[in-house]
Amino acid sequence: MARRVSRRATFGPAFIAPYVIFLLLFGLVPAAYGVYNAFIVTPVVGDTYYSLTKNFEDVLGDYRLPSATANVAMYLAIWLPLLLIVVFGIALLIDSKRSRFAGFTRFIVYVPGAVTGSAAALLWLFMFSPTVSPISNLLKPLAGSNGLIISNQTLPFVLAVMGIAAGAGGWVVLLLGALSAIPKELIDAARVDAASTWQIIWHVKLPLLRRYAAFILIVSLANGFQVFVEPQVLGAGSIGQISSTWSVNQLVYAYASEEANFGRASALSVVLLAVTVVAAIIVIKKTNFYRVEGH
Amino acid sequence: MIRRTLSRAGRNMLLAGICLFFGVPLVWLFLAPTKTDGALRAEPPLSFGSWGNIPQAWENLLSFNDGQIVTWLGNSLWYSTASVLIAVLISVPAGYGLAKFHFAGRKAVLFLTLVTMVVPAAAMILPLYLELSAVGLTNTPWAVILPLGFYPFGVYLVYLFATTSIPDSIIEAARIDGASELRIFTTIFLPLSRPSTIMVAFFAFVTCWNAFFLPFIMLTDPAQATIQTGLNLMVRNTNALSGANLTGLIIHEPEVALAALVSISPILVIFLFAQRYLVAGQTLGAEKG
Repeated sequence: MARRVSRRATFGPAFIAPYVIFLLLFGLVPAAYGVYNAFIVTPVVGDTYYSLTKNFEDVLGDYRLPSATANVAMYLAIWLPLLLIVVFGIALLIDSKRSRFAGFTRFIVYVPGAVTGSAAALLWLFMFSPTVSPISNLLKPLAGSNGLIISNQTLPFVLAVMGIAAGAGGWVVLLLGALSAIPKELIDAARVDAASTWQIIWHVKLPLLRRYAAFILIVSLANGFQVFVEPQVLGAGSIGQISSTWSVNQLVYAYASEEANFGRASALSVVLLAVTVVAAIIVIKKTNFYRVEGH
Repeated sequence: MIRRTLSRAGRNMLLAGICLFFGVPLVWLFLAPTKTDGALRAEPPLSFGSWGNIPQAWENLLSFNDGQIVTWLGNSLWYSTASVLIAVLISVPAGYGLAKFHFAGRKAVLFLTLVTMVVPAAAMILPLYLELSAVGLTNTPWAVILPLGFYPFGVYLVYLFATTSIPDSIIEAARIDGASELRIFTTIFLPLSRPSTIMVAFFAFVTCWNAFFLPFIMLTDPAQATIQTGLNLMVRNTNALSGANLTGLIIHEPEVALAALVSISPILVIFLFAQRYLVAGQTLGAEKG
């Protein structure tokens, strides 16, 4: 018996060793190195030196940070509530009667998830371009004096629409899975008690889905907070319309590339990383979505 | 009865509206390359141009840097394949080891796996850049391949599969029969865990193919770009979408739409033909509790 235990104790680490090396090299080491770099100050003139606070002070005092933060906050404030409403609305609508048409809708909602990365940003650049958009007649009154819609100010709305078009499908599928797991007897019992469809949604289905709302919110918040690709590509497609430091992560990139100031870039990305790690730990510890035995 | 018909009609109208919002942009994207630049502006947005325009638009795309778009597609394919191989080779034994063995530090590795899995990729890009530039790997394909080969979600998938679908008794029985641990892994676990291995490969591929920020910051040479970052480069350099393309290249909206379609084609194929797998993955991370 003791021998078997020792055998298990040595082979386990052997199986996970390559993974642990990768976990260290591309997870923990860069994070630690980022923190270390955040304390190295590169002045315009003179030698680099160490300071616990200088880079953080400089970054927090940067005039571009408040506008980038406000942009991202505005985007999250529009996108997150809208996402929840759309995702729950569509899932409950499809679930209320699983007809053929409902199944088809589920498919149509899911497919745009395949349009990702650069292609997604370009597609929505087209959709919001008054000259070629399928809804150009609706858009024309909204266009600025230069005939364009996408600008620093409208970007939060554009990103919110994009985020919903691409991201809603996956969440709808997740919710539909949860909804079909609700015992049929529960719904039938409510029907027998003369509950209306609305009452069943409000008093039976929604309370059972509360955890999912929290999960979708935190995961989306952590991702939205880091937004980079979309404003970058939309900016490439409409030059001069979108600031190159529109989002906080773009500011990180500007520090690193245009200004070659890795200390400041690290300081800001360490702050962003800390926020998302906290969000991640909340998701894991509080929502019970990720099963690991013993939790 | 009338009320029921009305509510059914209302319901179907809502569903139709949803289909329009999610469907029309995609339909537009498929139709755009069939039209010329002029036709795209003049004709109704959801009209069909001609099949002949698609090869023409592709021809025009090839005018950018001597057909560099083909290089980008090739790069994307090779980086993604290499990353997926690494991810699978590492994740499958790791998931098995975490699920079927008890050893010191196991809990910590599991917890770190969950944390690195939930933290968005964008949060780690700059730290990764600093690390890899310190060892001189930036501007080499490895700067993209290796970080993407670290795929904690894959480990989690295999771990879940091994704990829920492979009973300990099978492994114990093999041990009593005197099979070595390596043999148990290769002849018992690997064949049984095939579905989860395919799923890891599959999700890793989607993640690698779509990666933008990582190649964007790691690779500055256009000849090393992936299709994702290359598209961004092409649109920026030709100013194709701002009306004033002064480069003389015939790259306008239809060409960009075609390039976008080409860039998502592998993912689109996966979405259309392997929906079952994707849906299974979506619900795996969130078991009902």
